[in-house]
Amino acid sequence: MVYFINDIITGALIGLLYALVAMGFVVIYRASKVFNFAQGELVIIGGFIVWFTTMQVGLSLWLSIPLSLVLAGLVGYAIERIFLTKLIGESVFSMVMVTVGLLILLRGLVLLLFGPAVRPFPIIFPLKPLFLGDMLIPMNLLIGGIITVVAAVGLSWFFNRTRSGLRMTAVAEDHVVASSMGISVKGSIAFAWILGSILSTIGAMIFLSGKSLTFLASDIGFAALPVALFAGLESIGGLILAGVIIGVAQSLTTNYLDPMIGGSLGSVVPYIIMLAILLVRPTGLFGWRTIERV
Amino acid sequence: MTYKTRHGLRGMLAAGAMALAATIPLKAQAETTYNLALLSDFSGPYADIMPTLASSREAVFDWWNATSGQKLGVKLNYKNYETRYDAAQVASLWPGIKSELDPIAVVGLGGPDVAALSERLPEDKIPMFMATAAYGYAWQSDAWIFNPRPTYSHESAGFLSWMREQRGGDEPLKVAILASEASPAYVDMAKGLELYAEEHPEELDLVEIIYTEVQPTDLTAQMRRVARAGAEALIVQTNTSIVVAAKRGLQANGADIPIMMSSHNGLPASGGALGGLDQLEGDYEAYGMAVAADEDTPARQFYETLAADYGLEAPWNVVTAMGISQGLYTVAVIGHAIEENGAEGLTGEKVREALFAQPITAEETQGFLPTLTFTPDAPFPLKGLQVNVGTVKDGKITIEATGVDVPDVKKW
Repeated sequence: MVYFINDIITGALIGLLYALVAMGFVVIYRASKVFNFAQGELVIIGGFIVWFTTMQVGLSLWLSIPLSLVLAGLVGYAIERIFLTKLIGESVFSMVMVTVGLLILLRGLVLLLFGPAVRPFPIIFPLKPLFLGDMLIPMNLLIGGIITVVAAVGLSWFFNRTRSGLRMTAVAEDHVVASSMGISVKGSIAFAWILGSILSTIGAMIFLSGKSLTFLASDIGFAALPVALFAGLESIGGLILAGVIIGVAQSLTTNYLDPMIGGSLGSVVPYIIMLAILLVRPTGLFGWRTIERV
Repeated sequence: MTYKTRHGLRGMLAAGAMALAATIPLKAQAETTYNLALLSDFSGPYADIMPTLASSREAVFDWWNATSGQKLGVKLNYKNYETRYDAAQVASLWPGIKSELDPIAVVGLGGPDVAALSERLPEDKIPMFMATAAYGYAWQSDAWIFNPRPTYSHESAGFLSWMREQRGGDEPLKVAILASEASPAYVDMAKGLELYAEEHPEELDLVEIIYTEVQPTDLTAQMRRVARAGAEALIVQTNTSIVVAAKRGLQANGADIPIMMSSHNGLPASGGALGGLDQLEGDYEAYGMAVAADEDTPARQFYETLAADYGLEAPWNVVTAMGISQGLYTVAVIGHAIEENGAEGLTGEKVREALFAQPITAEETQGFLPTLTFTPDAPFPLKGLQVNVGTVKDGKITIEATGVDVPDVKKW
């Protein structure tokens, strides 16, 4: 029974990591209605920035972590300025296609700048797990889970209670209308990309701490996708619940069903849950239902 | 010297020059050129090892052209094609490769090449020579794709037999496998050993097969299960990232279960990704090929020759050994085909026939591979299979065992 509870806790924490990466999707979507297909690549870029400042430049973690977050924010800003500013007012589809191109570009850029070698990622969180009796909780996931909950609460408050956050929501509704109301569309979208990049970098630190860094790590973007769609693309708070449900379901499947059937059902389960919920609620658990009056 | 003798000497020189000039085109005509298509992955999952692997096999072709090829009047041209380790990319490139090069052989890289070309090569009558171990799903008779090593499951079964012998006792060795469903090849590695363990319960007790992502989020809980089940060995033949995650999971649990890796994710690659070889102290790599350790072996000496005389810049490691062994058995087969058929009119079909006609000796592959006897029954030699075992001692890779016999693994 203890191990069963332990598997539930570990699953919930992995789900919260997915939720943190998914938060990058949601923040950009809430500010621009653009679904960023390159979210996993932003995780990799963030990971390489942390690796570079720590392992290459040799900065201590206390210096390299804030510096990496600033640099990641600059990368997000640069992406928005170079690729997306000119598309303001154009169809959302064009912007989404740009993110598809960005996915390929960023992968190529990582290979070009850093090469293909598998690198050791710095140990940011203690490797020794937390032991609670017979239960064992990985420290990186535990700290990551706390960060995710704090980030979700903070961002929910920002988007729902502050003037800046509500402006960003208005931008997502309609670029032209928002602009005519005196809202800086460029500024809102740029801020969303900066935030998205910073969240991805925090995700990279939790995900990769003490492990290896390659561009294969971008697959976590796809792992986070069901969480974002399950929660509903506008809901930041909903990501927590969606992440926990998907993480626990995946953990129990991996630990109890997979050994019985000899397969990797665990990696498919998040998508099954996502498809099931989308059949019932196409907007996800907490997504906004848009009512159009003709 | 009189005018007459001077004149005579000039005449002789002129005649000599004319004769020399006449022989040049003849020599050029005598050198027959054949093409090899090299499938490579410089930008996909194996981009980290590809520059080393590619330069190693190319150095062998350069060496062969300068030595055996020159004697036989044959030059092998080669060209790399970027496949991104993607079966769809291989399939789409193949018609162009064939029309551009008309190769007598393809030098392949991995599973996607096999998946994309296994149906095409018999039609086109061009053999493909791989560097890796073989796959159970490609274990068919009348193959056109060949591996110098048996399947990954043969190699792990050989290693585990050796490990059980080292441990002593009659009890079966408890073993766990870490695999991934990200690639059919990774599943295949696990399935073959699973069947072997089922059929040999007195030798192996397979406590669990864990399927995970190619970049796992966390394996602490899985490693705890494996440790709790009393596993004595953990087989990870997939990739470096899974080795790293498994090691971290074991360290978190305070468990010291030796990991066995393969050649493509071996000790140097995984040690590098963990921050140092010392992290893998007491872990193993095992495969049917020479271990790239510091010891002075014939394989090491041949590598030194390639580095000194043929511009090979790749370091001495398992990937370099893989590239060299692939190049060596490829040119050995082509050499046999030329001896059998003459330098002119060599085709892919004749190269394949030569593979079955006579064994490729360990001497021909400079000790990189055991003597290989191919038959039409399988894409890899079925008899005389051996693996070598390397380990980390005091932070250095050393040879732990050589010529370990591989048990009979049934087809799955």
